[in-house]
Amino acid sequence: MLVLETVSKTYPNGVQALARFSAEIGEGEIVAIIGGSGCGKSTLLRAIAGLDRATAGHVTLDDDTIAAPHPKIGIIFQEPRLLPWLSVADNIAFGLSELPAGPRRERVTHALERVGLADKAQAWPRELSGGQAQRVAIARALVPQPEVLLLDEPFSALDAFTRRDLQDHLLDLWADSRPTLVLVTHDVDEAVALADRVLVMRPRPGRLFAEIIINLARPRDRHSPLFDNFKRRVMTALDRSLDRDVPDSDAKSNTGEAMWW
Amino acid sequence: MAMTVELPAIEQAGEAEASVRPSARLRRYARPALGLLLPVGLAAAWEFAVWRGWSNGRLVPPPTKVFATILELAQSGELSRHVVATLSRVAAGFGLGVLAGTALGSVSGYWELARRLLDPTVQALRAIPSLAWVPLFILWLGIFETSKVALIAVGVFFPVYLGVMGAILSVDRKIVEVGRTFRLSGPAMIRRILLPAVLPAYVVALRVGLGLGWMFVVAAELMGASEGLGYLLLDGQQLGKPAQILAAIVIFAIIGKATDWLIEIATAPLLRWQDAFAGEDRGQ
Repeated sequence: MLVLETVSKTYPNGVQALARFSAEIGEGEIVAIIGGSGCGKSTLLRAIAGLDRATAGHVTLDDDTIAAPHPKIGIIFQEPRLLPWLSVADNIAFGLSELPAGPRRERVTHALERVGLADKAQAWPRELSGGQAQRVAIARALVPQPEVLLLDEPFSALDAFTRRDLQDHLLDLWADSRPTLVLVTHDVDEAVALADRVLVMRPRPGRLFAEIIINLARPRDRHSPLFDNFKRRVMTALDRSLDRDVPDSDAKSNTGEAMWW
Repeated sequence: MAMTVELPAIEQAGEAEASVRPSARLRRYARPALGLLLPVGLAAAWEFAVWRGWSNGRLVPPPTKVFATILELAQSGELSRHVVATLSRVAAGFGLGVLAGTALGSVSGYWELARRLLDPTVQALRAIPSLAWVPLFILWLGIFETSKVALIAVGVFFPVYLGVMGAILSVDRKIVEVGRTFRLSGPAMIRRILLPAVLPAYVVALRVGLGLGWMFVVAAELMGASEGLGYLLLDGQQLGKPAQILAAIVIFAIIGKATDWLIEIATAPLLRWQDAFAGEDRGQ
């Protein structure tokens, strides 16, 4: 169980990025955090990752308070952040240095197969396409078998096709060991396609605004009316969180395209 | 909802593996040859001009005369004596300069406090033309080897120091963060993230340092030496032997280039990962 308790973050320049954010995220749950820019969603994720410390409140994972990067928590960034001087296989093995060579190689080989890049094991990162590189980043984060995997807008730099492909792929991989996923995104379609629960944040200062449970069975049909319905609900909550006028639902369905900025 | 066609998402199938074309090998050798065209052409033209008697070639001796001088020096054993003298000075000065530059550069790059303490002084010293140290070094260290090596070391130190410090400071924060998420300890962070990230810039710094080392060895040997390539230059000037001066210059060029090339060769395996632009992809 990942527990966020009144997590707040005020930067040294006085900007309050996050104000008393609380949530409980169950084991194996997929939670999407969505919100307008400056709503503190990335700040929140970095606090969970232990990369930044909250100025008040705390994050606990199974009674461990997170103050620094934790072995059970993995993170995938917006950019792949592969180490250019390591081959694809060595990049994936980066977090496994404590493991003896044999099992390490086994796990890396398996992970490469799972992300469909078995033939790229010895390639350099520069030789990969954006989607391939992000898949390597996913494999690198997953091979240490984290209990919680954080994703910071992981597919936002990819084209629409690759993005959808990787979303499905992520669900596939998630089904292997069912880690808790916390996904920060600004893409409503992505949130509804992946998450069990969508947390909508409100900016200045960042705080929780609404919670929408997506009780759709997987695999989800992105063209079903139900799916659209959830998208519309998330979008409406988003608009409200930014104090925008909410157009009536007929007009909404026309503008309800994939991206929300 | 807008019309969407269900297509299997296509991941670009491995961009055609860089295949070695038969012409590639030819081009690999033909390209350096292109660079030789101008100097060889000029040398041949000059040789021809002197041979036809359009110039007497006394002040600018033709290539054959220069090579005859080199051959003569080589046969008498003079050449190896001078080359060894110069090479050992450069080696000692380069070694010391690189050691000091690397040590201080990494300290300043890694610890902010050290940078604040050290860097202003180093930068101030850097602003002094290095040759200005010569009289002082001679007073302090004598006119023999020590002062020469010290001068070369000073020349090598600054580019290496700057290169190492700059490289450490410009390591991508995002990559360092990857190391943090995998909970690397301090030494592991240096070994697995910082060192490889800094390496390309470090190699460049070494090569720049070596270039300056060669520059300063000439200055040091012109100041007064009884052997070395710089001595050959001075001797050639005082006795009016332009062929000897040119011979020394040619030898400087050859061993300067050769030592630079050695650094390149020695570090190439470590930098394979970043050779994309400079290597196969350019000029296609």
